[in-house]
Amino acid sequence: MSETSTDDLPLGTPKEFRRLHTIIRRVCYVLLFGLVVEGALTFPLLAIWYGVPELTPAEVCDELQKVMYSDDTRECETHDLDSPPFGGTAEAQNQTTAEDIWKVQPTPLYPRVGFRELVENKREREAEEGG
Amino acid sequence: MTIEDEPTTATTGAGGIGYDDHVEESRLAQRAADKWMIPGTVLMGTAILGVFGLPLFLRGLFLQRRAQLGGLSVRPTIVTLIGYMVMLDGALNTFGWAIDLFASHTYMSRIFLPTWGNMFDAGYFWHYNELAVGGAGAPGEKAWEVLGIFVVFPMRIAACIGFLQMKRWGHQWMIVTCWTGMLMWMGYVANMTMYADIRFTGVVFPVLGWWIYDIFYITPFVAIPYLHTVNREIFTD
Repeated sequence: MSETSTDDLPLGTPKEFRRLHTIIRRVCYVLLFGLVVEGALTFPLLAIWYGVPELTPAEVCDELQKVMYSDDTRECETHDLDSPPFGGTAEAQNQTTAEDIWKVQPTPLYPRVGFRELVENKREREAEEGG
Repeated sequence: MTIEDEPTTATTGAGGIGYDDHVEESRLAQRAADKWMIPGTVLMGTAILGVFGLPLFLRGLFLQRRAQLGGLSVRPTIVTLIGYMVMLDGALNTFGWAIDLFASHTYMSRIFLPTWGNMFDAGYFWHYNELAVGGAGAPGEKAWEVLGIFVVFPMRIAACIGFLQMKRWGHQWMIVTCWTGMLMWMGYVANMTMYADIRFTGVVFPVLGWWIYDIFYITPFVAIPYLHTVNREIFTD
């Protein structure tokens, strides 16, 4: 009768591990759905939070650079292939505006970016420049 | 009617007649299911097109399950799930880390990685691109990227291919790569915690956000108990 009792077991699953394998299979389904949904929604979440479509992706990069270095003139730039480690000036080598507390662990002082705050930052800065 | 002309639907209890047909039919069913699951996994591996890949993958799983219930000798569902999931885990990690390591000065990297970093992990935002190699500036991060891209993930994807083909070496290397995944997580999380001030100060969704985002990559650990308790004889040389 042992043959009939194992007939409904998946291939390779011993009777004593049937429950364990069922749990693992279900967890795998959850992880699969989670991973896919997360993968699909990350870009839209980033875009909405940081101000697209009022800002283009390149402008989001600009605004984040300004936050990163506490410097309103900082812009998002690409660098040529002769950048480090192949030579040339290191990125932000002469940039001295970044605010950190240099203790045992460096702690940055830039603020947390709120929901669509970068749009507001850009608008305020342009208003100041215009006025 | 000769033996070769026997209908192929007789899969069991035929006293050996139709065995070759059964094997061939099983092979074709497995192939038909994989034809849906492979493009599904490739799409899911791109992250942003994942929602389009999921239905394809599920359609393949459905075909496989139907073949299994019909008595054909296809892969067990759990082997398929673990194999493709661990491969997806390797592919997704490789994609993000490879552009951070090799393409950190491109516009795409500069837009996507520091923005993601600002939201979940400022290791990818704080003084981004200022090290010799560029990309993430968090202490130690580059070493994990090199280990992942050159050792762990290629090994993982190769192991998955062998595992999905039900090869003995695939099962053995799957065990190795899943335990290596455990080592990477322990080391990575310890390193990240050592520099928590850098990585989580000023971040939109710190610590808990990181865990919620990254917890889905635990598939390799979840697979370990299965790999050690499955009947190894189902994996052949």
